[in-house]
Amino acid sequence: MKCEQIGELLPDYLQGNLSPEQDNSVENHLEGCPACSEEVAVWKKLSLLPVEQPSPASRVRFEAMLHAYQTGRADQVGAGFERGKPSSFWSAFNWLRSPLGALAYGVALLAIGTYIGTHMSGSNTHSQELAAMHSELTNMRQLVVLSMLQQQSAGERLQGVTWSRREEQLDPQILSALLHTLRYDGSVDVRLAALDALSRRGRQPLVHKGVADSLQEQQSPLVQVALIDLLLEWRDPDVVQRLQRLQQIPNLNPTVRQRAEWAMSKLN
Amino acid sequence: MLEVRNGAGESLGVLFDRYQAPLYNFYSKLTGDRVLSEDLVQEVFLRILKYRQSYRPGTPFRAWIYQIARNARVDHFRRAPRQVALNPEMLPPVLPGDSAQHGQEAELLHRALMQLPEEKREILILSRFQELKYEEIARLLDCQLGTVKTRIHRALQQLRQVFRQLEQGAAAGKANASAAGNIPPQGGLQ
Repeated sequence: MKCEQIGELLPDYLQGNLSPEQDNSVENHLEGCPACSEEVAVWKKLSLLPVEQPSPASRVRFEAMLHAYQTGRADQVGAGFERGKPSSFWSAFNWLRSPLGALAYGVALLAIGTYIGTHMSGSNTHSQELAAMHSELTNMRQLVVLSMLQQQSAGERLQGVTWSRREEQLDPQILSALLHTLRYDGSVDVRLAALDALSRRGRQPLVHKGVADSLQEQQSPLVQVALIDLLLEWRDPDVVQRLQRLQQIPNLNPTVRQRAEWAMSKLN
Repeated sequence: MLEVRNGAGESLGVLFDRYQAPLYNFYSKLTGDRVLSEDLVQEVFLRILKYRQSYRPGTPFRAWIYQIARNARVDHFRRAPRQVALNPEMLPPVLPGDSAQHGQEAELLHRALMQLPEEKREILILSRFQELKYEEIARLLDCQLGTVKTRIHRALQQLRQVFRQLEQGAAAGKANASAAGNIPPQGGLQ
C-alpha cells in the first residue's frame, strides 16, 4: 500500500478502530516506511506530555460560584416566603464566616459580575447600575488580591501578584501590600513578580520611594540587579547615592557590585 | 446531567470533579496559559449552570460540554485579543543533557505542538488527550467524519515535521556544547 492509502487508515489505526486485516496491512507498510512510522511514533510520544492538575483554589472558586448562584436563585424564587424557610436561606451564608469562604465568595461575585457585565455592556439603560457594579467589582477584586498576598503558599501569593497586574488602578492599600511583598516575602520568585508589577507604577511617588528604598534591604542578588536596572530606567534622582550606599555593603555579591558599577558608568 | 438540568446544584459538583481536570488540560495545552485555563474552566461551569436548559437529554454530554468549552475560549479571545502571540524563540533554550531524555523529548514535543496552527493543535488535543472519538469530534466541529480524519492526519504530519526540526536543532546544540567542552581552559599557562 502507498502512503496516501495508509494516510486514510492511519487515524483509525491510532485509535484502534481497524479490523485485524487492516491493522496488519498498516503495520506492514510502517515497517518499510520511515515517514509514516515516524508519524505513529510522534503520536505515541504525545503521551509524554504531562497531565496537569488545576490548583486546589479552582474547586473553592467553583463552590463559591455555585453557592452564589443558588443563593441568588433562592432569593428570586423565595422572595415572598423567606420567613417560612429561614434555615435554608441563611444556612447558605454560614460557610462564608470562614476567611476562605469570604475570599471564595468574592471570587464568585467577580466571576458572575464580570459575566453579566460583559454580556450587558451593549445596553444603555443599565449603564449606571453597571458602573456601580463595576466599581464594586473592582473593590472586590482588590480585596481578593490583598488576601491572596497573605496566603501561606508561595504559588498563591504569586497568583495574587499576577492578579494585581490586571487592575488599571490599584488602591494605596494594595500598593503598600505589594511593597511589603517586595521587601519581606520569603520567596525570591514572588519578590521578583512584585517588583515587576510595581515597575509599571513608578510614577506614583509612594511606589517610587518604596521600591527605591527596598534596594538596601534586599538579600537576593537577582532582585538587587533587577532593582538597579529599574532605578536606572526610572531615572531616580537619588540613584547615585543609593548605589554608593549599596556598594558600601561589605559582603555584596560580586555580580551585584558589577551591576552597580555598570549603572554608575551609565550615569556619568 | 439530567439532574443538573433540572436544577440540582450538587450534581454539578460531580460533573466538576469529573471534567475540571480534562477541561483544564484541554485549555492549558491549547493556550499554554495556566491562569487563563483555570478562569476558562470556571467560565464553562458557569455557562453549564446558565444554559443547562439547552442540553437535550439523550444527546452525548461530552460533546455538549466541549462545545461550551470551545465557545467560552472563542468569546474570551474576542473580548481580549491576544496581545503577544507565543513566540517560540522567547522560550528558554532546551539544554541538552541537563535532564532525562524523556523530559527533553516532552519539552520539544510541547514546543512543536505550540508551533502548530491553532486548529491543528486543537484537533490533536481533542483526539489524543481528551480521548474524544472521531464521531464526537465531527459533531463538535460540525464537519464530516472523513474530514476529521484527514485533518488529524495533516496535523500529525506537520507535528512530525516541526518536532523533527526542533530535535535536529537540539542535537546541533548538544554537538556545540560538547565541542565547547573540549576546548582547554584559557589562561592556565600564564
